[in-house]
Amino acid sequence: MAINTKKIREARRLNNDRLLSFIGRFSIHIALIIFSLCCLIPLILVISASFTDEITLTREGYHLLPAEFSTEAYELIFDNPTAIVRAYGVTIFTTLVGTTIALSLMALLAYPLSRPDFVLRKPLSFFVFFTMLFNGGLVPYYILMTQYLHVQDTVFALLLPYFVVVFYVLILRTYFAALPSELIDAARVDGAGEFRIFISIALPLAKPALATIGLFTALNYWNDWTTALYFIRDADLYPLQYLLYIIQSNAQAMQLQSTVGTINMGPVPTQTARMAMAVLATGPAAIFFLFFQKYLIRGVTLGAFK
Amino acid sequence: MNTVKKTLFRGLIVLVALCAFGISAIAQDDLPQLIYIYPGTQQPDHDLVQAAVNEYLAEAIGATIEMRPIDWGAYNDQIGLINASGEQYDIAFTAPWINNYYSNITEEYFIPLEDLLQEHAPEYWASMTPETWEAARVGGHIYGAINQQIFVKPFGPYISTEVLEAIGMVDEFNAITSYSDLDPIMEAVQAYADEDEILTHATYNLAPLLNAENWNYDPIGNGLVVDTSNPVPEVLIFSETDAYREAAQMIRDWYEAGYAPSDIALWAEQDAAWQAEQYAVRVSDLVKPGGDAEIQARWGIATTSVAIAEPVLTTAGVIATLNGVSYTSEHPELAVQFLGLLNTDPVFYNLFSKGIEGTHWEWADEESLLIQPANGAGSFGDTGYAPNTDWMFGNVFNSYYTDPTQVGAWTATAELNRNARPSPILGFTFDGSEVETEIASVSAVLQEYGDPLGSGLVDVDEGITTLNQALQDAGIETIRAEVQRQIDEWLASNN
Repeated sequence: MAINTKKIREARRLNNDRLLSFIGRFSIHIALIIFSLCCLIPLILVISASFTDEITLTREGYHLLPAEFSTEAYELIFDNPTAIVRAYGVTIFTTLVGTTIALSLMALLAYPLSRPDFVLRKPLSFFVFFTMLFNGGLVPYYILMTQYLHVQDTVFALLLPYFVVVFYVLILRTYFAALPSELIDAARVDGAGEFRIFISIALPLAKPALATIGLFTALNYWNDWTTALYFIRDADLYPLQYLLYIIQSNAQAMQLQSTVGTINMGPVPTQTARMAMAVLATGPAAIFFLFFQKYLIRGVTLGAFK
Repeated sequence: MNTVKKTLFRGLIVLVALCAFGISAIAQDDLPQLIYIYPGTQQPDHDLVQAAVNEYLAEAIGATIEMRPIDWGAYNDQIGLINASGEQYDIAFTAPWINNYYSNITEEYFIPLEDLLQEHAPEYWASMTPETWEAARVGGHIYGAINQQIFVKPFGPYISTEVLEAIGMVDEFNAITSYSDLDPIMEAVQAYADEDEILTHATYNLAPLLNAENWNYDPIGNGLVVDTSNPVPEVLIFSETDAYREAAQMIRDWYEAGYAPSDIALWAEQDAAWQAEQYAVRVSDLVKPGGDAEIQARWGIATTSVAIAEPVLTTAGVIATLNGVSYTSEHPELAVQFLGLLNTDPVFYNLFSKGIEGTHWEWADEESLLIQPANGAGSFGDTGYAPNTDWMFGNVFNSYYTDPTQVGAWTATAELNRNARPSPILGFTFDGSEVETEIASVSAVLQEYGDPLGSGLVDVDEGITTLNQALQDAGIETIRAEVQRQIDEWLASNN
């Protein structure tokens, strides 16, 4: 009898525990669901708005499902899809090529700086570090790019600025410096030259750091629009983010112009067309991210244990 | 099939043009080249038009030009960098609202034009009255070539004709002479809107009623105005005038009567709501010849409008669109000749702003200067060249009409400009460098206490008292005195 009561009590306690943990999990899930909805709903609103008829959108406002389904906005854009396709091409090209070159350059610079036996280590470090604290500012930058390098309106203008980011070089240097010097000595005893050591020993060991810096650089290239704002006039070379910026700000400029009260205006992109543009520009990137996010996250955390 | 033909045809034109360009390029190579930078989107047929422009220009003034449009959204940044870095160019579009005319002058990016214009573009110089040119004068020199367009700002209400006829008040509307006359009409429109399914309010944005030009004052900025009917320019604080009180009271009354949406955040969407026909009256907009036709063309809504404000020639109105010549220009005299040609030669001007005859446009009726998209294109936007910014390049009164209802509008506008009463401070520009601190505080006060009055959110008497007190505390009196001093000095030096 006594045993029975004990068992029952035990079972009750277990039930209670289960209930508690259920409530705990439930509330966490609810919180997470609300959070995800907060992230998702704006996206859905944009997609829905892009499929809504222009006038209906103004009259009825934004709905989660289009109040009146229309593909007008997309027809408008796909009437001349070259701009967005080209912009995708430019952005993908700069991201791939730019990240590859930038990583090689930064590794090649960071490695010697990390070696204590490198003669010019101190002056070169200072030279690199100095630019992090002091820089010429926008106008000298512009003069250098346009009047000395003559890269305006070329794809180099988009590539050059992120080739060497001093902060990333410092991170890489620190990582290289932490590699045991015995490894390098051992390789040298085995008859490896400096370049061999760099390629076969240092680089493979620094993979986590390289992955992190590579990811950051790729994001820099993907999201960059200011470089294009300063140096690119040729619409064929507009990167994706800049194209979006231009579409938005052109619409604003048109409105400004109308307040000045001057004569007739060019076509202002409609609300729905702007939404459709945003969907087309972010959509593929978002899907890409879904598939690759585990690699990206691993890339970020890989560098963390050091 | 048709499109294939069209493409082939267009390709052929390009080829011919390229050949022609190739032949003439030998001759054009030796000619000096000008660079003209202006805001605008790149046109598909840009190169084609540029070749034609150069051919014309080579013969007319012995120079060629590179037309360099920069996207609207990038124009301010790029032209700023080009100026600061000393990159060579000749002409740039400038105005107080984009590529700021006054900062360009302070930074000495533009060269004085008055002598060059008189010497190298006498016809252009003579096409406007001396008072008009005075408006562009800053610190003794004229740095901008003025494009003729509508200089005056006769503000007034626009109303949807359909609604106006439905409420049966056509005659009453056409007879109004002041904004208070609009009151019964607004009431009727609102009653109509309450019954109507689509129309939600009589109007949307009430704030434009507070524009000083509506009440025949010339705004100098920072809440200061000059009464244009007073020949002796006396600087007043706008919110202390009776006109301000009347306007604020009207806004408050109409807002409380529910003529405008109570959520003023919606006011920013006034254009979208107008297109969706959610309201019927734009209380205060620029009423100009061809204005109704313009709204009809843009939104497909027929409107009726009446000008209430008197047409007054103000500095801001005259210099709304200018072209400046860069300090880096190697051929300023050619640049001025080019501007002269653009402003006085209709053939060249329309080639520049509307494209090539037969390729981009063709005559619909040559006698009345009416054109239509070439080769059966649905709109000018489909022809391959339609920057749609005639007012940026030169005298818009020389541009061909693109819509039958527009015919005659330029002549009427030119007339309006000519007959306008000049503001007593036409040509005066205020230099605020001595009172920068006060200007910053005053503009913050105007935003904090002035904007609620403009949207009818606060009681008028209380609101105006608070606003005026806050303006005094912010030091508006110092600015007023400084403006008055500068105006007196300017008057003395002019006579």
